[in-house]
Amino acid sequence: MSIPWIVKYRPKRVEEVVGNDDSKKKFIEWIESWVKGEPIRKAALLYGPAGVGKTSLVEAVAKTYGYDLVELNASDQRSETIIKRIVGIAASQGTLTGSATRRIILLDEVDGMSEEDRGGLKAIVEVLERTRQPIVLTANDAWDPKLTPLRSVCLMIEFKRLKQWEVVKKLRDICLKEGIEADREALEFIAKRSEGDLRSAINDLQIVAQGRMKITIEDVGWLPYRNRIEPIFDVLSIIFNAKTISTARRALSLIDIDPDMMFEWIYENLPSQLTDPKDLAVAMENLAKADLIRSRVKLFQRWDLLAFATEIMSGGVAVAREATKPRWTPFHFPERIKFLSSIKEERGVMDSIASKIASRCLTSKRTVISDVIPYILFMLMNNPDYGVKLLRNYDLTSSEIEFLKGKVGVGVVEAPRKRGRSAGG
Amino acid sequence: MSLSTREFELWVEKYRPKTLDEIVDQKEIVERLRKFVETKTMPHCLFAGPPGTGKTTAAHCLAHDLFGEDYRESFLELNASDERGIDVIRTTVKNFARSATLTDVPFKILVLDEADNLTADAQQALRRTMEKYTDTCRFILSCNYSNRIIEPIQSRTAIFRFTPLPPEDTYIYLKRICDAEGVKLTEDGARAIYEVAEGDLRKAVNTLQAAASLGKPIIADVVYDVVGWVHPKEVAEMMDYALKGDFSKSRSSLRMLLYQRGYAGSDIIKRMHSRIFELDVSEKQKIELINYLGEIDFRVAQGADEEVQISAFLARLALVGRGLG
Repeated sequence: MSIPWIVKYRPKRVEEVVGNDDSKKKFIEWIESWVKGEPIRKAALLYGPAGVGKTSLVEAVAKTYGYDLVELNASDQRSETIIKRIVGIAASQGTLTGSATRRIILLDEVDGMSEEDRGGLKAIVEVLERTRQPIVLTANDAWDPKLTPLRSVCLMIEFKRLKQWEVVKKLRDICLKEGIEADREALEFIAKRSEGDLRSAINDLQIVAQGRMKITIEDVGWLPYRNRIEPIFDVLSIIFNAKTISTARRALSLIDIDPDMMFEWIYENLPSQLTDPKDLAVAMENLAKADLIRSRVKLFQRWDLLAFATEIMSGGVAVAREATKPRWTPFHFPERIKFLSSIKEERGVMDSIASKIASRCLTSKRTVISDVIPYILFMLMNNPDYGVKLLRNYDLTSSEIEFLKGKVGVGVVEAPRKRGRSAGG
Repeated sequence: MSLSTREFELWVEKYRPKTLDEIVDQKEIVERLRKFVETKTMPHCLFAGPPGTGKTTAAHCLAHDLFGEDYRESFLELNASDERGIDVIRTTVKNFARSATLTDVPFKILVLDEADNLTADAQQALRRTMEKYTDTCRFILSCNYSNRIIEPIQSRTAIFRFTPLPPEDTYIYLKRICDAEGVKLTEDGARAIYEVAEGDLRKAVNTLQAAASLGKPIIADVVYDVVGWVHPKEVAEMMDYALKGDFSKSRSSLRMLLYQRGYAGSDIIKRMHSRIFELDVSEKQKIELINYLGEIDFRVAQGADEEVQISAFLARLALVGRGLG
């Protein structure tokens, strides 16, 4: 994962913005009214669910019509004076000098402004009244009472969830550009899961596609339904950056996920999130302790112990962070889940094979697995005909022989190439 | 068994000594076992020694010489690490000891391999079982470490200590096989096999057979090829990655060992343990690592997740590698 695809594939032209055609038209008409010098309204409020292209549209339109974009969003501090200064300056300067610098002022996620920002909201209304540049606001919930003063002065433009086929089409375009072959069902699955949120769909696609040139329905089956309260990445992000145990612990309650699955997500992402070796070792030891408690929960049916395990697996990771610098690193899907589901079955086959050989070699299955089968695999690889006959002689079934062949055929282990002592273990 | 199927047998099975006379090594032990055959009497025995030194084979040869070709009717072999719990062992022993013997030898032999894998409690139960059936049944327990066998059992058994095969005995076995199979083994090839097997005959014979499957004269390099492939160098690799500070790569190696090679976590821990001594870290750090690995081993035995636990050790190793641990 070099750059996130949601950044890489951000629309550059208006035509590239997916869906919501009527809203797009309405917004473009409004900008054109500004271009002509007779604005319909001073500001537009684009509202609708996350990931449907509100901000993307504004960015693409700005580029197309040659506007500079001045952006303020919810995570920034929005006190009254800051808003007045930035917005005020941006709103007047361009026309005063008569220069070609035209600006769109974008205030993202205005419904995310806190109660303390009431002064900020008032400031926005004031600016709207005397602006000479188009101001765009976005919000998820436009009917939030605190936005009432804004609604009357803004052109209201609604954005709806994207349709499944619209999401699929965009995903397919991305796959094409990335040189990835994707099954229709796989993309449909991702799209359906996203519930019309293109951003999350693209994120999911990127995670699934990592290191693959082909995506099938099997590859996406594990994607849990995104919980609308907090997606898993946000929860992970809280846990890895929390300053206190309670913050980390609380993050777990924001999402409806099996604790074991949560454990896997944390465990998988530990090395990429905690890059300092000391932090990593401490966090890993805490995770191992959580795992120990978890195993006791199952062994003794002591479900009351589970709380300890979840606290240590979240808080124990959070407090381990001391030297690691904050830096955004993408999260990965827990790879070993795929192994774990097949391992039980695999061990069963291995066990059956080992018991057939063990009884005749007068030793335990365990010894056969560790000290005999590796040699048989070597023979199977270098002299398949001989190896197969040998295994038949031990009454292995054809599927068991295929299983062993798969072990040497899948490129798991290389054929001996190195010569000399260094090859020794 | 027909000749044609014997052609495709594992050589450890095909060339296993059938009688005490065929055993080349462990001379003193064989001598004492012969006395049991002559007198048709024997005590409970404890065979202790490293893997591949002939403990189980000696038990089979003893039974063969005592009971004849059909010795398996009076002989039962169980493996403690494969059987599910002491109760299963007890029931099996009961049924076996109860049935009458067909020979002129007044007892049967029951071999319990890898007895040191039984917990102390299970060994106590085993001791009671041994006493209960002592009239009709003789026990031969085999183990790698006799100190892992509880004292009450040790005091009730004659202890035989099997030692790693010396080079000469290993060469005699290898030559016997090569002659029969028409395989050309050079002198340096034989030395290489001994060097990697370290007195473990099972390992030596398996290495020989794997090398022979390549269909060319077995010189030292061929042997090292086999060993380099078979012996999981991934364990060394995994630890080296960690020492260099690359935990992620180290964890990937661990996953390969566990999920693709199919090794048990406890086996990996065992191999890691023996490698700690070769690491380029201070003696003090080695002790810390051994201590931590012991803890990890215990947790895994308690049912904790193998990968997570071993990963915790690798993270610690990465810390030591940076000179911080």
